[in-house]
Amino acid sequence: MLVGIQLETRQTQRPSGPEIANEMSTYLQTVASERCKASFAEIFHYFAPRVRSYALKQMKNEAQAMELVQETLANVWQKAHLFNAEKGSPSTWIFTIARNIRYDMLRKQQKRKEDICSEDMWPVLCEQTASDAEVSLDHQVTLEQVGQLFSGLPVKQKAVIEAIYVEGKSQQEVADELGIPLGTVKSRTRLALQRLREMLEKDD
Amino acid sequence: MIKLHPNSQQLSEFAQGQCDSGVALIIAAHTDMCRQCKQKLTLIEAELAREAMAEKSSPDPAFDTMLANILQMPAASGIEVSYKQKKLELDGKEFVLPRSLQRYADKINGWSHLPGKLWQARVDLGIDGRADFTYMEKGGSVPEHTHRGTELTLVLDGEFSDGIRNYDTGDFIERSCDHVHTPHTEADEGCLVFSILDKPLHFTSGIARLLNPFSQLFFK
Repeated sequence: MLVGIQLETRQTQRPSGPEIANEMSTYLQTVASERCKASFAEIFHYFAPRVRSYALKQMKNEAQAMELVQETLANVWQKAHLFNAEKGSPSTWIFTIARNIRYDMLRKQQKRKEDICSEDMWPVLCEQTASDAEVSLDHQVTLEQVGQLFSGLPVKQKAVIEAIYVEGKSQQEVADELGIPLGTVKSRTRLALQRLREMLEKDD
Repeated sequence: MIKLHPNSQQLSEFAQGQCDSGVALIIAAHTDMCRQCKQKLTLIEAELAREAMAEKSSPDPAFDTMLANILQMPAASGIEVSYKQKKLELDGKEFVLPRSLQRYADKINGWSHLPGKLWQARVDLGIDGRADFTYMEKGGSVPEHTHRGTELTLVLDGEFSDGIRNYDTGDFIERSCDHVHTPHTEADEGCLVFSILDKPLHFTSGIARLLNPFSQLFFK
């Protein structure tokens, strides 16, 4: 492996800036094409302490910081083929991987049911699976269906909803017109909306 | 032409992964549509990376084990599946969504028809607040309202006006309690937007004020 030998001889004097970027790009390409462990070790020794420094500022504790470092560098090893030198430098690529993993780790910790994941927003390591891409879209409810749902409401609720939402009347007007207390109009409206919502959710 | 963009602060927070998920998603969708912001983002990321990667932590003995562990891992399969663009369908029309929103076309809980030639489909993102696709038919409008929180809107297709100015496809619009507006569209093809809202709308005029008790319909 000619490239590797050449680069190793430069070890003693660390270049900086664009030279580092070129050197690391070459290592990444060698990892991608030959699974070269020596090249990955070079990348690891250069980046692991840097990613860790970033991780220590971002995460709550040392253990999480190390997890972030491990995840980031593991992705570099496993997905080196996705690095594209034309799109940016190795350090930008590795930073964006770390940023994404950090985002997903924090999201999990919040224990919220958030469904958004980092690759939606920052497609750094994007390899979509066939099944993801082929899911079809058949969740629409047509106007006709909505009409059907609406007609499924109890008559009294339907009258109130129609008067308020279609004819634009006030609740008081509806109460006067139907000769029922305002409170009844309010509760019928609430029940009807609740019912419609349930039907819409079930329908889907 | 896109005239309204996230500001530099918003783009920078987005690039750092620091903004709320809903906000991040809508900014991502805008950058999918806007070459200018995409380029800005690339520059911001490069700058952030330069800063973040400038410092090294002290050497750690755990690194040796970590390196050995990683080298045991197999390479990921290098097969990239070309992805099929998903379309959002409504009332016989098809809309191509920006990449970051594609996955959410499947999460639509059905379209509801609201007064004013409006169609709305909520997307459950599990965030605080709500996210919706809203489609206004030609001549459609939302009654004049303001917001108790912040509303971020991205125009996905078509154009609309809100009494303050006109908006075109790709525009990124931020509205808060300082703005009272009445969105409507006269475009033949109507207008599809995606919006993130952190608090209910507050209707301000005429009969629509009566909708306030029901603004959970717009914000359930």
